[in-house]
Amino acid sequence: MDLHNLNPSSLKSRFTTRFLRALTEINARKPIASSSSPREIFQRYRRIKDAADTSMAYSVRSRRTWSKATLWRLRTPSHRRRLASFGRRSSLNKTRTTTTASHRGAVVVQITSRGGGLGVQLEELRELVPGGEAMDLCNLLDETAHYIKCLTTQVQVMRTIANLYSLE
Amino acid sequence: MESNPGTTETRSNLTASDGGQVTAFESLQFTDEIHRLILAPTTINASSFTALVELPPPQAVELLHSPDSTKFIAAKPPNVEDFKGSFRFPSNTSLIEPDARFSVFSGEANNGNENRDSPVSKILNSNLEKAVKSEPAETESAQPLVSDPPVEKRRIKRKGRENKVKGSTKKSKTAVNESSEDAEKLPYVHVRARRGQATDSHSLAERARREKINARMKFLQELVPGCNKISGTALVLDEIINHVQSLQRQVEFLSMRLAAVNPRIDFNLDSVFTSESGSLMDSNFPGLVMPVMWPEVQGDGHRQQYQHQWNSDALQQPVWGREVHNNYITPEKSLLTYDSSANSVTLQANQLKMEL
Repeated sequence: MDLHNLNPSSLKSRFTTRFLRALTEINARKPIASSSSPREIFQRYRRIKDAADTSMAYSVRSRRTWSKATLWRLRTPSHRRRLASFGRRSSLNKTRTTTTASHRGAVVVQITSRGGGLGVQLEELRELVPGGEAMDLCNLLDETAHYIKCLTTQVQVMRTIANLYSLE
Repeated sequence: MESNPGTTETRSNLTASDGGQVTAFESLQFTDEIHRLILAPTTINASSFTALVELPPPQAVELLHSPDSTKFIAAKPPNVEDFKGSFRFPSNTSLIEPDARFSVFSGEANNGNENRDSPVSKILNSNLEKAVKSEPAETESAQPLVSDPPVEKRRIKRKGRENKVKGSTKKSKTAVNESSEDAEKLPYVHVRARRGQATDSHSLAERARREKINARMKFLQELVPGCNKISGTALVLDEIINHVQSLQRQVEFLSMRLAAVNPRIDFNLDSVFTSESGSLMDSNFPGLVMPVMWPEVQGDGHRQQYQHQWNSDALQQPVWGREVHNNYITPEKSLLTYDSSANSVTLQANQLKMEL
Protein backbone atom coordinates (compact mmCIF):
# COMPACT_ATOMS: atom_id res chain seq x y z
CA MET A 1 0.00 0.00 0.00
CA ASP A 2 1.29 3.36 -0.90
CA LEU A 3 1.55 5.04 2.45
CA HIS A 4 4.43 7.35 1.88
CA ASN A 5 3.89 8.54 -1.57
CA LEU A 6 0.52 10.16 -1.47
CA ASN A 7 0.61 12.87 -4.03
CA PRO A 8 0.58 16.12 -2.10
CA SER A 9 -1.23 17.84 -4.88
CA SER A 10 -3.79 15.19 -5.54
CA LEU A 11 -7.44 15.96 -5.25
CA LYS A 12 -7.68 14.05 -2.04
CA SER A 13 -4.96 15.90 -0.21
CA ARG A 14 -6.10 19.23 -1.52
CA PHE A 15 -9.60 18.59 -0.34
CA THR A 16 -8.46 17.26 3.00
CA THR A 17 -6.34 20.26 3.75
CA ARG A 18 -9.03 22.69 2.87
CA PHE A 19 -11.73 20.82 4.66
CA LEU A 20 -9.75 20.51 7.84
CA ARG A 21 -9.01 24.17 7.78
CA ALA A 22 -12.66 24.93 7.30
CA LEU A 23 -13.60 22.65 10.15
CA THR A 24 -11.09 24.33 12.37
CA GLU A 25 -12.56 27.64 11.46
CA ILE A 26 -16.07 26.48 12.18
CA ASN A 27 -15.03 25.14 15.51
CA ALA A 28 -13.17 28.28 16.36
CA ARG A 29 -16.07 30.46 15.49
CA LYS A 30 -18.58 28.55 17.54
CA PRO A 31 -16.94 26.44 20.15
CA ILE A 32 -19.28 23.70 21.02
CA ALA A 33 -20.73 23.44 24.43
CA SER A 34 -21.22 19.89 25.42
CA SER A 35 -24.92 20.45 25.54
CA SER A 36 -25.97 21.72 22.22
CA SER A 37 -29.50 22.19 21.20
CA PRO A 38 -30.58 20.36 18.11
CA ARG A 39 -30.91 23.67 16.39
CA GLU A 40 -27.30 24.47 16.99
CA ILE A 41 -26.31 21.10 15.80
CA PHE A 42 -28.37 21.61 12.71
CA GLN A 43 -26.68 24.88 12.09
CA ARG A 44 -23.34 23.29 12.47
CA TYR A 45 -24.35 20.54 10.15
CA ARG A 46 -25.34 23.03 7.53
CA ARG A 47 -22.11 24.87 7.90
CA ILE A 48 -20.04 21.76 7.77
CA LYS A 49 -21.80 20.53 4.69
CA ASP A 50 -21.32 23.84 2.97
CA ALA A 51 -17.71 23.83 4.01
CA ALA A 52 -17.26 20.37 2.56
CA ASP A 53 -18.86 21.30 -0.72
CA THR A 54 -16.94 24.52 -0.92
CA SER A 55 -13.63 22.95 -0.19
CA MET A 56 -14.27 20.28 -2.76
CA ALA A 57 -15.26 22.81 -5.34
CA TYR A 58 -12.25 24.91 -4.47
CA SER A 59 -9.94 22.00 -4.88
CA VAL A 60 -11.15 21.71 -8.41
CA ARG A 61 -10.96 25.45 -8.94
CA SER A 62 -13.27 26.48 -11.70
CA ARG A 63 -12.09 23.99 -14.20
CA ARG A 64 -15.39 22.23 -14.12
CA THR A 65 -18.86 23.55 -14.58
CA TRP A 66 -20.16 21.81 -11.51
CA SER A 67 -17.51 23.33 -9.30
CA LYS A 68 -18.28 26.77 -10.63
CA ALA A 69 -21.95 26.19 -10.06
CA THR A 70 -21.36 24.95 -6.52
CA LEU A 71 -19.26 27.92 -5.60
CA TRP A 72 -21.74 30.26 -7.10
CA ARG A 73 -24.55 28.55 -5.31
CA LEU A 74 -22.86 28.88 -1.97
CA ARG A 75 -21.66 32.38 -2.43
CA THR A 76 -24.58 34.22 -3.85
CA PRO A 77 -27.41 34.89 -1.45
CA SER A 78 -30.56 33.17 -2.44
CA HIS A 79 -32.63 36.16 -3.49
CA ARG A 80 -30.05 37.35 -5.96
CA ARG A 81 -29.66 33.84 -7.15
CA ARG A 82 -33.34 33.61 -7.91
CA LEU A 83 -33.24 36.67 -10.08
CA ALA A 84 -30.12 35.65 -11.89
CA SER A 85 -31.31 32.17 -12.47
CA PHE A 86 -34.63 33.35 -13.80
CA GLY A 87 -32.87 35.38 -16.41
CA ARG A 88 -30.38 32.72 -17.21
CA ARG A 89 -32.66 29.80 -17.31
CA SER A 90 -35.45 31.38 -19.25
CA SER A 91 -33.09 32.39 -21.95
CA LEU A 92 -31.43 29.04 -22.16
CA ASN A 93 -34.10 26.51 -21.51
CA LYS A 94 -37.35 27.29 -23.08
CA THR A 95 -38.89 24.00 -22.21
CA ARG A 96 -38.39 24.43 -18.52
CA THR A 97 -39.87 26.53 -15.83
CA THR A 98 -38.05 27.44 -12.74
CA THR A 99 -39.11 27.49 -9.18
CA THR A 100 -37.15 28.40 -6.20
CA ALA A 101 -36.57 27.40 -2.65
CA SER A 102 -35.38 24.01 -1.72
CA HIS A 103 -34.06 23.34 1.72
CA ARG A 104 -30.58 23.84 0.48
CA GLY A 105 -31.33 27.26 -0.78
CA ALA A 106 -30.58 26.09 -4.24
CA VAL A 107 -32.74 26.83 -7.14
CA VAL A 108 -34.65 23.79 -8.14
CA VAL A 109 -35.59 23.52 -11.70
CA GLN A 110 -38.99 22.15 -12.36
CA ILE A 111 -38.53 20.06 -15.35
CA THR A 112 -40.96 19.40 -18.06
CA SER A 113 -40.37 16.12 -19.69
CA ARG A 114 -39.03 16.44 -23.16
CA GLY A 115 -40.39 13.20 -24.44
CA GLY A 116 -38.53 9.96 -24.84
CA GLY A 117 -37.73 7.81 -21.86
CA LEU A 118 -34.22 9.07 -21.89
CA GLY A 119 -35.36 12.60 -21.46
CA VAL A 120 -36.69 12.11 -17.98
CA GLN A 121 -33.49 10.66 -16.69
CA LEU A 122 -31.45 13.28 -18.39
CA GLU A 123 -33.43 15.92 -16.65
CA GLU A 124 -32.93 14.17 -13.36
CA LEU A 125 -29.24 14.03 -13.95
CA ARG A 126 -29.15 17.66 -14.79
CA GLU A 127 -30.91 18.34 -11.59
CA LEU A 128 -28.45 16.35 -9.56
CA VAL A 129 -25.25 17.61 -11.02
CA PRO A 130 -24.80 21.22 -10.08
CA GLY A 131 -24.64 23.43 -13.07
CA GLY A 132 -25.91 20.73 -15.29
CA GLU A 133 -28.94 22.51 -16.53
CA ALA A 134 -27.36 24.26 -19.41
CA MET A 135 -25.21 21.54 -20.85
CA ASP A 136 -25.68 19.22 -23.73
CA LEU A 137 -25.60 15.51 -23.20
CA CYS A 138 -21.99 14.99 -24.11
CA ASN A 139 -20.61 17.48 -21.65
CA LEU A 140 -23.13 16.48 -19.07
CA LEU A 141 -21.80 12.96 -19.04
CA ASP A 142 -18.29 14.29 -18.67
CA GLU A 143 -19.29 16.45 -15.79
CA THR A 144 -21.12 13.60 -14.16
CA ALA A 145 -18.06 11.41 -14.30
CA HIS A 146 -15.84 14.00 -12.73
CA TYR A 147 -18.49 14.87 -10.20
CA ILE A 148 -18.86 11.25 -9.15
CA LYS A 149 -15.14 10.95 -8.73
CA CYS A 150 -14.96 14.04 -6.56
CA LEU A 151 -17.96 13.02 -4.51
CA THR A 152 -16.35 9.68 -3.84
CA THR A 153 -13.21 11.36 -2.63
CA GLN A 154 -15.21 13.67 -0.47
CA VAL A 155 -17.14 10.85 1.12
CA GLN A 156 -13.99 8.90 1.75
CA VAL A 157 -12.22 11.75 3.47
CA MET A 158 -15.19 12.77 5.53
CA ARG A 159 -15.80 9.25 6.62
CA THR A 160 -12.22 8.91 7.76
CA ILE A 161 -12.36 12.12 9.68
CA ALA A 162 -15.63 11.18 11.29
CA ASN A 163 -14.22 7.80 12.24
CA LEU A 164 -11.19 9.41 13.73
CA TYR A 165 -13.16 11.72 15.87
CA SER A 166 -15.74 9.25 16.92
CA LEU A 167 -13.04 6.94 18.11
CA GLU A 168 -11.53 9.42 20.45
CA MET B 1 31.99 27.82 -49.39
CA GLU B 2 32.74 26.44 -52.72
CA SER B 3 29.50 24.54 -52.73
CA ASN B 4 27.46 27.69 -52.37
CA PRO B 5 27.17 28.69 -55.99
CA GLY B 6 26.16 25.23 -56.95
CA THR B 7 23.50 25.07 -54.32
CA THR B 8 22.13 28.47 -55.13
CA GLU B 9 21.81 27.48 -58.71
CA THR B 10 20.04 24.37 -57.84
CA ARG B 11 17.77 26.31 -55.57
CA SER B 12 16.77 28.63 -58.30
CA ASN B 13 16.14 25.70 -60.53
CA LEU B 14 14.06 24.18 -57.89
CA THR B 15 11.83 27.17 -57.44
CA ALA B 16 11.31 27.33 -61.13
CA SER B 17 10.56 23.74 -61.71
CA ASP B 18 9.08 22.43 -58.56
CA GLY B 19 5.35 22.65 -58.35
CA GLY B 20 5.34 22.02 -54.69
CA GLN B 21 4.61 18.38 -55.20
CA VAL B 22 6.64 15.55 -53.98
CA THR B 23 6.87 12.85 -56.50
CA ALA B 24 8.45 9.50 -56.66
CA PHE B 25 11.10 11.05 -58.77
CA GLU B 26 12.11 13.20 -55.89
CA SER B 27 12.12 10.36 -53.55
CA LEU B 28 14.35 8.40 -55.82
CA GLN B 29 16.72 11.25 -56.03
CA PHE B 30 16.49 11.58 -52.35
CA THR B 31 17.46 7.99 -51.80
CA ASP B 32 20.36 8.45 -54.12
CA GLU B 33 21.29 11.39 -52.07
CA ILE B 34 21.19 9.38 -48.98
CA HIS B 35 23.28 6.65 -50.40
CA ARG B 36 25.82 9.18 -51.32
CA LEU B 37 25.70 10.54 -47.86
CA ILE B 38 26.21 7.25 -46.24
CA LEU B 39 28.71 5.73 -48.55
CA ALA B 40 31.01 8.62 -49.00
CA PRO B 41 31.37 10.49 -45.79
CA THR B 42 34.88 11.48 -46.60
CA THR B 43 33.75 13.56 -49.49
CA ILE B 44 31.86 15.75 -47.11
CA ASN B 45 33.29 19.10 -46.66
CA ALA B 46 34.41 18.52 -43.15
CA SER B 47 34.14 22.06 -41.95
CA SER B 48 30.62 22.58 -43.12
CA PHE B 49 29.43 19.25 -41.91
CA THR B 50 30.78 19.65 -38.47
CA ALA B 51 29.54 23.16 -38.36
CA LEU B 52 26.16 21.75 -39.09
CA VAL B 53 26.26 19.11 -36.48
CA GLU B 54 28.46 20.84 -33.98
CA LEU B 55 30.29 17.67 -33.35
CA PRO B 56 33.76 16.53 -34.10
CA PRO B 57 33.94 14.91 -37.49
CA PRO B 58 34.16 11.27 -36.49
CA GLN B 59 31.10 11.48 -34.34
CA ALA B 60 29.28 13.43 -36.95
CA VAL B 61 30.10 10.85 -39.51
CA GLU B 62 28.91 8.18 -37.19
CA LEU B 63 25.57 9.83 -37.10
CA LEU B 64 25.12 9.04 -40.70
CA HIS B 65 25.46 5.39 -40.22
CA SER B 66 22.97 2.84 -39.14
CA PRO B 67 23.02 3.26 -35.34
CA ASP B 68 20.90 6.34 -35.50
CA SER B 69 18.71 4.94 -38.14
CA THR B 70 18.03 1.89 -36.10
CA LYS B 71 17.32 4.09 -33.16
CA PHE B 72 15.04 6.11 -35.23
CA ILE B 73 13.31 3.16 -36.71
CA ALA B 74 13.10 1.25 -33.52
CA ALA B 75 11.70 4.25 -31.77
CA LYS B 76 8.94 5.04 -34.15
CA PRO B 77 8.28 2.25 -36.58
CA PRO B 78 4.52 2.18 -36.28
CA ASN B 79 4.11 5.88 -36.80
CA VAL B 80 6.31 5.90 -39.78
CA GLU B 81 4.67 2.88 -41.30
CA ASP B 82 1.19 4.19 -40.85
CA PHE B 83 1.57 7.18 -43.03
CA LYS B 84 -1.46 7.46 -45.16
CA GLY B 85 -1.43 11.12 -45.64
CA SER B 86 -2.64 11.68 -42.12
CA PHE B 87 -0.38 13.66 -39.94
CA ARG B 88 1.63 11.71 -37.49
CA PHE B 89 3.35 14.25 -35.42
CA PRO B 90 4.97 12.03 -32.81
CA SER B 91 7.31 10.82 -35.46
CA ASN B 92 8.51 14.34 -35.81
CA THR B 93 10.12 14.29 -32.45
CA SER B 94 12.87 12.25 -33.89
CA LEU B 95 12.90 14.30 -37.01
CA ILE B 96 13.31 17.43 -35.10
CA GLU B 97 16.24 16.38 -33.02
CA PRO B 98 19.38 17.90 -34.39
CA ASP B 99 21.07 14.64 -35.05
CA ALA B 100 17.91 13.03 -36.23
CA ARG B 101 18.37 14.93 -39.40
CA PHE B 102 20.91 12.46 -40.46
CA SER B 103 19.11 9.54 -39.05
CA VAL B 104 16.19 10.56 -41.16
CA PHE B 105 18.38 10.33 -44.17
CA SER B 106 19.65 6.95 -43.28
CA GLY B 107 16.29 5.79 -42.09
CA GLU B 108 14.66 6.71 -45.27
CA ALA B 109 17.43 5.16 -47.19
CA ASN B 110 17.00 1.95 -45.34
CA ASN B 111 13.31 1.80 -45.88
CA GLY B 112 13.21 3.43 -49.19
CA ASN B 113 9.46 3.36 -49.26
CA GLU B 114 7.95 5.75 -51.61
CA ASN B 115 4.81 6.33 -49.73
CA ARG B 116 6.85 7.17 -46.72
CA ASP B 117 8.59 9.94 -48.38
CA SER B 118 5.60 11.89 -49.39
CA PRO B 119 4.06 11.94 -45.93
CA VAL B 120 7.39 12.88 -44.52
CA SER B 121 7.63 15.76 -46.84
CA LYS B 122 4.09 16.65 -46.02
CA ILE B 123 5.07 16.74 -42.43
CA LEU B 124 8.01 18.85 -43.33
CA ASN B 125 5.80 21.17 -45.23
CA SER B 126 3.42 21.44 -42.38
CA ASN B 127 6.24 22.00 -39.99
CA LEU B 128 7.55 24.68 -42.18
CA GLU B 129 4.39 26.57 -41.56
CA LYS B 130 5.09 26.35 -37.92
CA ALA B 131 8.76 27.10 -38.07
CA VAL B 132 9.47 30.52 -39.29
CA LYS B 133 13.17 31.02 -39.27
CA SER B 134 15.32 29.86 -42.08
CA GLU B 135 18.86 30.68 -42.80
CA PRO B 136 19.60 29.99 -46.38
CA ALA B 137 23.26 30.73 -46.05
CA GLU B 138 23.78 28.27 -43.36
CA THR B 139 21.64 25.80 -45.14
CA GLU B 140 23.64 25.97 -48.24
CA SER B 141 26.95 25.99 -46.57
CA ALA B 142 26.02 23.14 -44.37
CA GLN B 143 24.61 21.00 -47.08
CA PRO B 144 27.33 20.63 -49.56
CA LEU B 145 25.92 17.37 -50.67
CA VAL B 146 22.68 18.88 -51.67
CA SER B 147 22.85 19.19 -55.33
CA ASP B 148 19.54 17.77 -56.35
CA PRO B 149 16.95 20.42 -56.91
CA PRO B 150 13.93 18.60 -55.54
CA VAL B 151 15.70 17.69 -52.41
CA GLU B 152 16.95 21.18 -51.84
CA LYS B 153 13.58 22.54 -50.99
CA ARG B 154 12.95 19.86 -48.49
CA ARG B 155 16.30 20.39 -46.92
CA ILE B 156 15.70 24.03 -46.56
CA LYS B 157 12.40 23.45 -44.94
CA ARG B 158 13.81 20.98 -42.57
CA LYS B 159 16.66 23.25 -41.86
CA GLY B 160 14.29 26.05 -41.18
CA ARG B 161 12.41 23.94 -38.76
CA GLU B 162 15.54 22.80 -37.12
CA ASN B 163 16.79 26.29 -36.84
CA LYS B 164 13.79 27.01 -34.83
CA VAL B 165 14.49 23.97 -32.79
CA LYS B 166 18.12 24.67 -32.24
CA GLY B 167 17.17 27.21 -29.68
CA SER B 168 16.07 24.61 -27.27
CA THR B 169 14.79 21.12 -27.37
CA LYS B 170 12.00 22.29 -25.17
CA LYS B 171 10.76 24.44 -27.98
CA SER B 172 10.80 21.52 -30.27
CA LYS B 173 8.84 19.49 -27.86
CA THR B 174 6.29 22.19 -27.48
CA ALA B 175 6.15 22.53 -31.22
CA VAL B 176 5.56 18.86 -31.47
CA ASN B 177 3.01 19.00 -28.76
CA GLU B 178 1.25 21.85 -30.42
CA SER B 179 1.34 20.11 -33.70
CA SER B 180 0.08 16.92 -32.21
CA GLU B 181 -2.67 18.81 -30.50
CA ASP B 182 -3.47 20.50 -33.71
CA ALA B 183 -3.68 17.15 -35.31
CA GLU B 184 -6.26 16.15 -32.82
CA LYS B 185 -8.15 19.34 -33.32
CA LEU B 186 -8.23 19.06 -37.05
CA PRO B 187 -11.56 20.19 -38.34
CA TYR B 188 -12.14 16.96 -40.19
CA VAL B 189 -12.48 13.85 -38.18
CA HIS B 190 -11.82 10.88 -40.31
CA VAL B 191 -14.62 8.54 -39.55
CA ARG B 192 -14.83 5.48 -41.61
CA ALA B 193 -18.33 4.70 -42.73
CA ARG B 194 -19.31 1.19 -42.07
CA ARG B 195 -20.99 -0.97 -44.62
CA GLY B 196 -24.60 -0.12 -45.15
CA GLN B 197 -24.44 3.20 -43.38
CA ALA B 198 -25.21 6.54 -44.85
CA THR B 199 -22.27 8.67 -45.69
CA ASP B 200 -23.63 12.16 -45.93
CA SER B 201 -22.10 14.71 -43.65
CA HIS B 202 -25.05 14.97 -41.32
CA SER B 203 -25.19 11.35 -40.44
CA LEU B 204 -21.44 11.21 -40.15
CA ALA B 205 -21.38 14.03 -37.70
CA GLU B 206 -24.21 12.49 -35.84
CA ARG B 207 -22.51 9.18 -35.75
CA ALA B 208 -19.36 10.75 -34.39
CA ARG B 209 -21.40 12.46 -31.75
CA ARG B 210 -23.16 9.25 -30.86
CA GLU B 211 -19.86 7.46 -30.55
CA LYS B 212 -18.59 10.11 -28.24
CA ILE B 213 -21.66 9.78 -26.10
CA ASN B 214 -21.37 6.02 -26.05
CA ALA B 215 -17.76 6.21 -25.02
CA ARG B 216 -18.66 8.47 -22.14
CA MET B 217 -21.49 6.24 -21.10
CA LYS B 218 -19.10 3.34 -21.00
CA PHE B 219 -16.74 5.29 -18.85
CA LEU B 220 -19.53 6.14 -16.48
CA GLN B 221 -20.52 2.52 -16.36
CA GLU B 222 -17.09 1.62 -15.19
CA LEU B 223 -17.14 4.36 -12.64
CA VAL B 224 -20.40 3.36 -11.06
CA PRO B 225 -20.16 -0.01 -9.39
CA GLY B 226 -22.56 -2.61 -10.60
CA CYS B 227 -23.32 -0.94 -13.85
CA ASN B 228 -21.42 -3.27 -16.09
CA LYS B 229 -24.09 -5.89 -16.22
CA ILE B 230 -26.85 -3.56 -17.11
CA SER B 231 -27.55 -3.03 -20.73
CA GLY B 232 -29.57 -0.22 -22.08
CA THR B 233 -28.94 3.41 -21.69
CA ALA B 234 -31.98 4.19 -19.62
CA LEU B 235 -31.21 1.67 -16.91
CA VAL B 236 -27.61 2.69 -16.79
CA LEU B 237 -28.64 6.27 -16.40
CA ASP B 238 -30.95 5.20 -13.62
CA GLU B 239 -28.07 3.56 -11.84
CA ILE B 240 -25.91 6.58 -12.28
CA ILE B 241 -28.56 8.82 -10.89
CA ASN B 242 -29.01 6.55 -7.93
CA HIS B 243 -25.31 6.52 -7.31
CA VAL B 244 -25.02 10.28 -7.41
CA GLN B 245 -27.97 10.62 -5.08
CA SER B 246 -26.52 8.15 -2.63
CA LEU B 247 -23.19 9.91 -2.65
CA GLN B 248 -24.80 13.22 -1.96
CA ARG B 249 -26.81 11.71 0.86
CA GLN B 250 -23.68 10.19 2.31
CA VAL B 251 -22.04 13.57 2.32
CA GLU B 252 -24.97 14.95 4.23
CA PHE B 253 -24.96 12.16 6.78
CA LEU B 254 -21.27 12.43 7.32
CA SER B 255 -21.43 16.14 7.81
CA MET B 256 -24.19 15.61 10.34
CA ARG B 257 -22.01 13.10 12.05
CA LEU B 258 -19.18 15.52 12.14
CA ALA B 259 -21.43 18.18 13.52
CA ALA B 260 -22.46 15.89 16.33
CA VAL B 261 -19.04 14.49 16.99
CA ASN B 262 -17.11 17.69 16.92
CA PRO B 263 -17.78 18.96 20.41
CA ARG B 264 -14.96 17.07 21.95
CA ILE B 265 -12.05 18.14 19.92
CA ASP B 266 -10.76 21.30 18.48
CA PHE B 267 -9.85 20.94 14.94
CA ASN B 268 -6.45 22.37 15.33
CA LEU B 269 -4.28 20.69 12.83
CA ASP B 270 -1.84 19.69 15.48
CA SER B 271 -4.51 18.07 17.47
CA VAL B 272 -5.81 16.38 14.41
CA PHE B 273 -2.47 14.72 13.92
CA THR B 274 -2.01 13.80 17.48
CA SER B 275 -5.55 12.63 17.89
CA GLU B 276 -5.20 10.59 14.83
CA SER B 277 -2.07 8.99 16.07
CA GLY B 278 -3.62 8.69 19.50
CA SER B 279 -6.66 7.02 18.16
CA LEU B 280 -4.51 4.67 16.23
CA MET B 281 -2.56 3.74 19.26
CA ASP B 282 -5.57 3.40 21.44
CA SER B 283 -7.38 1.09 19.23
CA ASN B 284 -4.16 -0.67 18.52
CA PHE B 285 -4.62 -0.30 14.87
CA PRO B 286 -2.08 -1.82 12.67
CA GLY B 287 0.54 0.17 11.78
CA LEU B 288 2.38 -0.01 8.97
CA VAL B 289 1.06 3.33 9.95
CA MET B 290 2.67 3.58 13.29
CA PRO B 291 6.34 2.93 12.99
CA VAL B 292 6.24 5.04 9.92
CA MET B 293 4.65 7.92 11.70
CA TRP B 294 6.93 8.17 14.67
CA PRO B 295 10.05 9.10 12.82
CA GLU B 296 7.99 11.79 11.20
CA VAL B 297 7.17 13.53 14.41
CA GLN B 298 9.95 15.99 14.40
CA GLY B 299 8.31 19.29 15.03
CA ASP B 300 6.83 22.12 13.15
CA GLY B 301 9.33 22.01 10.40
CA HIS B 302 8.19 18.61 9.47
CA ARG B 303 4.56 19.19 9.89
CA GLN B 304 3.91 19.27 6.23
CA GLN B 305 5.51 15.93 5.85
CA TYR B 306 3.61 14.68 8.80
CA GLN B 307 0.41 15.93 7.38
CA HIS B 308 0.93 14.08 4.20
CA GLN B 309 1.83 11.06 6.15
CA TRP B 310 -1.35 11.43 8.08
CA ASN B 311 -3.30 11.88 4.93
CA SER B 312 -1.89 8.80 3.44
CA ASP B 313 -2.47 6.87 6.58
CA ALA B 314 -5.86 8.10 7.46
CA LEU B 315 -7.26 7.91 4.06
CA GLN B 316 -6.42 4.32 3.56
CA GLN B 317 -9.60 2.74 4.67
CA PRO B 318 -8.18 -0.75 4.44
CA VAL B 319 -5.77 0.21 7.16
CA TRP B 320 -8.50 -0.13 9.67
CA GLY B 321 -9.11 -3.66 8.79
CA ARG B 322 -5.63 -5.04 8.90
CA GLU B 323 -4.28 -7.47 11.35
CA VAL B 324 -2.87 -6.30 14.60
CA HIS B 325 0.79 -6.37 15.18
CA ASN B 326 1.75 -7.77 18.47
CA ASN B 327 5.02 -6.15 19.04
CA TYR B 328 3.75 -2.65 19.12
CA ILE B 329 4.64 -0.24 21.78
CA THR B 330 1.79 0.24 24.14
CA PRO B 331 0.02 3.56 24.21
CA GLU B 332 1.81 4.58 27.34
CA LYS B 333 5.18 4.03 25.90
CA SER B 334 4.19 5.84 22.79
CA LEU B 335 3.12 8.76 24.87
CA LEU B 336 6.51 8.69 26.44
CA THR B 337 8.15 8.77 23.10
CA TYR B 338 6.08 11.74 22.28
CA ASP B 339 7.19 13.34 25.47
CA SER B 340 10.76 12.75 24.73
CA SER B 341 10.61 14.52 21.47
CA ALA B 342 9.32 17.51 23.34
CA ASN B 343 7.59 19.57 20.81
CA SER B 344 4.24 21.22 20.67
CA VAL B 345 2.76 18.12 19.16
CA THR B 346 3.55 16.01 22.15
CA LEU B 347 2.23 18.49 24.62
CA GLN B 348 -1.03 18.67 22.85
CA ALA B 349 -1.19 14.94 22.59
CA ASN B 350 -0.94 14.67 26.32
CA GLN B 351 -3.51 17.33 26.82
CA LEU B 352 -5.91 15.54 24.63
CA LYS B 353 -5.37 12.33 26.44
CA MET B 354 -6.05 14.06 29.71
CA GLU B 355 -9.16 15.72 28.47
CA LEU B 356 -10.60 12.58 27.12
